[in-house]
Amino acid sequence: MSLEAPASPEATASPDATASREATGVAPTDAVHRLELFFDPGSCELLTPDDGVGARAARGLVAGTPAYAFGTEPARRGGAVGSAECAVIAGAIDDACDAGAPVIGLWHSGGARLDEGVRSLEGVGSIFSAMVRASGRVPQISVILGPAAGGAAYGAALTDVVIQADAGRMFVTGPDVIRQVTGEVVGMRDLGGPEVHDERSGVAHVTTGSSLEALSVARELTTLLAGTPGRTAEPGPRPALRTALPERAVRAYDVGPLLDGLLDDPGVELQPGRAPNLVTRLGRLGGRPVGVVANNPIRLGGCLNAAASEKGARFVRMCDALGIPLVVVVDVPGYLPGVAEEHTGVLRHGAKLLHAFAGARVPRVTLVTRKAFGGAYLAMNARSMGATAVYAWPTAEVAVMGAEAAVDILHRRKLAAATDEDRPGLRAGLVAEQRDTGTLERLAAHGVLDGVIEPEETPAVLFRALEQAGGGRSDQRNIPL
Amino acid sequence: MSTTNGSGPQTAAAVVRSELPGTVLTVAVAPGDRVDAGDEVCLLESMKMEIPVLAPAAGTVTRVLVRPGDAVATGAVVVQL
Repeated sequence: MSLEAPASPEATASPDATASREATGVAPTDAVHRLELFFDPGSCELLTPDDGVGARAARGLVAGTPAYAFGTEPARRGGAVGSAECAVIAGAIDDACDAGAPVIGLWHSGGARLDEGVRSLEGVGSIFSAMVRASGRVPQISVILGPAAGGAAYGAALTDVVIQADAGRMFVTGPDVIRQVTGEVVGMRDLGGPEVHDERSGVAHVTTGSSLEALSVARELTTLLAGTPGRTAEPGPRPALRTALPERAVRAYDVGPLLDGLLDDPGVELQPGRAPNLVTRLGRLGGRPVGVVANNPIRLGGCLNAAASEKGARFVRMCDALGIPLVVVVDVPGYLPGVAEEHTGVLRHGAKLLHAFAGARVPRVTLVTRKAFGGAYLAMNARSMGATAVYAWPTAEVAVMGAEAAVDILHRRKLAAATDEDRPGLRAGLVAEQRDTGTLERLAAHGVLDGVIEPEETPAVLFRALEQAGGGRSDQRNIPL
Repeated sequence: MSTTNGSGPQTAAAVVRSELPGTVLTVAVAPGDRVDAGDEVCLLESMKMEIPVLAPAAGTVTRVLVRPGDAVATGAVVVQL
């Protein structure tokens, strides 16, 4: 809250950021030009005069969707905000909330202005309050284009999605203060650059190269989170989905291409570097925005763990609060076993995901592609958790645990009593019996599944299920879990 | 936008660690091999699945520390780059 960034953005940009800026051509560093670049050409209407205040607000269109945006002015005191700047920003957020439109913040700010003392601090507090008032009512996106320190960084962290450009830096206290207090010597990039916030802290949901790329992703996310439909039509058959799973059921695979086949286009993945064993993506299905939550077997076998549960819970709650229907793609062997997980609080974080799904009012359909075992099956939007519909591919196995593991526990004595010669045959027979008790047909008869569907017709089936479910969304705020 | 499957930022002498405990089934690289980020360096059996250990960054393999049949713990170094 106490740092002011150097006035010149160039002074803080790393050489590679400068290189990417050159590669992409024009990358303006003043607030008005950034706002004009963000909105559709010719649609940017400035809401505040050029009166020396270091923050500007505007409204305009994003691919035809009305939206509000504000930006801090890097050339004025490094974008640091005092009471006047904070009034501009809080006003833009309140206006967006009244209009039911998304609001996007373009941050490049050293935080609160020191010379105004507590007045600027109170101003930053008024931004926080406006953001929390708007939370869950309208989509809020933060784009970090330069240093964002103290209040500027917290302002971003309070919103639904944080996009960090290569030149973006986020921290509560900067390198100078850290050196004075703790003696740690660290540069701005190592302290709060995109690598740190993508993979380690999870503060950034999307990291990009140039500021132009960041603005472009912000535009895509604005329309997705606003629920703006594209050309809406039931998706046709997708033959590529027939070969989306590996031939051998025990083989791990990257779920990314499967999701590409399911959605109209790849969409935008959120928090790709954090807990990559659970993929969270915003995209479109038959033209309609959807949020996708998917286990990713190539990482940790697709197991759920504390980090993935928290990541998933935040995403589910955001989609629920903003009315974005959910598609849940399940191939999960269970929770990751281990002392470290238990001591990290997998129960506490796992409970967040259970709570998020069970409480969600937004339509949410589940697809089991390969396996859904035990408690992790429940955590992936099972029938009993209130799923709108649950479908399975013919390859799917839904059970408390795999048939082999279940047999080893259920028939331990019988297996132990058998001769070494007989045991493999006995076990194979018991495993087959165990499988029969949980066939997909039986699960459908019990109401656990709504149907077994072919991979290539899956996009159409999911689309219809969501259409039939209609709308619905939470009236809760989107607390940054 | 960042990629999905890399792990942490890597410096010159990188190591490839197992993300989870398991038993080594196969080793896919030998000293001197070039690997790209995301390449499989060995295959583990864990959670009754076959799960690859992926190189977090490009580099040349300098040492292989595991053999088929070895048990590895979470965070164990399997290959040095």
